[in-house]
Amino acid sequence: MVVRRKMKVTMPRLRGVLTPLIAVAVVLALFPIIGVPRIWLLYLFLFFTYLTMANMWNLLAGYSGLISLCPAAFIGLAGYTLAIGTWFDLPWYLGIIAGGIVAAAFAALISFPVFRLKGIYFAIGTLVLPEVLRFVFTIWAPIGEPVYGGGAGYTVKGIAEVSGVQTYWLALAIGVASIFLMRYILRSKLGSGLAAIRDNDSTAASCGVNVFNLKLFSFVIAAFITGIAGAIFYLYQGYIEPVSAFSVRWLVIIMLATVIGGEGTEEGPVVGTIIVVFLYFLLARYAEISLIIQGVILVGIMLLAPQGIMGSLRRTRIYRSLLQLATRR
Amino acid sequence: MTVLADLATPVVMGILLGGLYAVIALGLSLVFGVVKEINIAHGDLVILGSYFGYVALTVLGIDPILSLLIGMPLLFGIGFAIQKYLLNRAFKISMDATLIVAFGISIILQNTYQLIWTPYARGLTTPYSVESLSAGPIHIPLVYLLDFLVAIVVMVFLHEFLKRTYLGRAIRAAAQDRKTAHLMGINTDRVYAFTFAIAMALAAIAGVFLGLTFSFTPVSGMSFLIIALGVVVLGGMGSIVGTFVGGVAFGLAQTLGGYFFGVAAQMLVAYIMVLVVLALIPRGIFGR
Repeated sequence: MVVRRKMKVTMPRLRGVLTPLIAVAVVLALFPIIGVPRIWLLYLFLFFTYLTMANMWNLLAGYSGLISLCPAAFIGLAGYTLAIGTWFDLPWYLGIIAGGIVAAAFAALISFPVFRLKGIYFAIGTLVLPEVLRFVFTIWAPIGEPVYGGGAGYTVKGIAEVSGVQTYWLALAIGVASIFLMRYILRSKLGSGLAAIRDNDSTAASCGVNVFNLKLFSFVIAAFITGIAGAIFYLYQGYIEPVSAFSVRWLVIIMLATVIGGEGTEEGPVVGTIIVVFLYFLLARYAEISLIIQGVILVGIMLLAPQGIMGSLRRTRIYRSLLQLATRR
Repeated sequence: MTVLADLATPVVMGILLGGLYAVIALGLSLVFGVVKEINIAHGDLVILGSYFGYVALTVLGIDPILSLLIGMPLLFGIGFAIQKYLLNRAFKISMDATLIVAFGISIILQNTYQLIWTPYARGLTTPYSVESLSAGPIHIPLVYLLDFLVAIVVMVFLHEFLKRTYLGRAIRAAAQDRKTAHLMGINTDRVYAFTFAIAMALAAIAGVFLGLTFSFTPVSGMSFLIIALGVVVLGGMGSIVGTFVGGVAFGLAQTLGGYFFGVAAQMLVAYIMVLVVLALIPRGIFGR
């Protein structure tokens, strides 16, 4: 089992990483001010939104043993909350938070049916959700005339004052926050509880871990943060429509980023998302075969290096000695 | 009385449609029950069957049902290869890996269809696919009746195959206890590959009849996968009778949903029923 092998990998506490991370974040925040090309900002914007989502997927799949196939549900719901909110004069910054809350509430609501299901049944349950929501938002028109996409598409109203730089900063903030959140969760009691559940949930339960609550907690957190990242994405895009909002493409991006980088490793999503964003622009010219190639990469990585780049790297001797050097004080 | 007479058509259509859903779900149920893996690409492989029928009809001018003589062996081979070279390997890594690899296959297939056959909806239009039958107040398309009959034939065949042939017994042995089957000299990897291959041959049949009944697009696989999952979970995994009952339940949900809430909502009713089934009876009616 891949899980067992993961456990053998030593996980030293990288206290020293905190300061460089903050330094990098500050430099990245200064990028728009020092006049970095706009296209770079777009790359970075996508990087941070995808990174946030991949981190949260990793929290569920890599650390909680929940293969969630429904990030699109959280992203779409939050995007719709933001868009519809702006039609009722809700300020966009409140709309983003409301988006996260709606996604989290939805996660809490559906956790009652889906958590009774283990493993594969959980995956089936979550697979259905984006499809259901797509239907709901295609049929249901909460406000007046739809604008985009034939169904119920809406523009995000009154965001003329939000500049591209602001959405960039928002994405940066949520991306960095998601990294810190992962670090915090994994080093907390919640993290060890989740690891216990992932490895064997009946043993965990008999050791006094409240399986349902911990899973629920990580599911709701993941929904909230994924929702916020989704809302920020739709703030940047300026319009939303059901087909792309609840599209399976979200899952492809998120899964690919996590799997390439290494499911169940903290740095995995960072490395994976860099590659995914790179691929995204590399393949933009070949839009029609882009997803085919991404699918091939997903299958290939999963079969040839199921632990991803970081997982495989961790097992090499060079990486370990470098790590020892870095952590020695 | 008029309400009853009005209801008669959707009820009969729902039951007959259940036959189609049962055939679509049979392959999934077989793989689920034997290999214990959930083939997320099943819907897309069924659609591959539909496209095969479409090519046979439009390019070669062969009747889609007749084309199954080539289509079934073709999908059988593809299925054997997928299980042997991809899923068997993933299965040894972990359960998650199987799921992710199947998801990858699904994405590859969907986008390949889109590339070859464009995103437009296609259908298999033959002289008999537009015929309909009337009996009193009930009007049903002929294809629905065909779906039902084919379902019964396929199920009887599958049942007899699993019961009487050596391979069928090996499949059942591997389903019950992989390790013991292995110790008894059954090459379980090979049995799994054959199981998946048989499931794909069933998918070829399902695909052609799906194409005769509905129009399909490159992404239709997902909706039929969800319904098939609902059917399998409701019926209890690995049970042929259960799959049939589940199929009828979902057929009825769809036609009655369409009758009461309008055509736009009929799939939504079926999807919500999947969630309800998962929440209330995850082991299914005929599950062990």
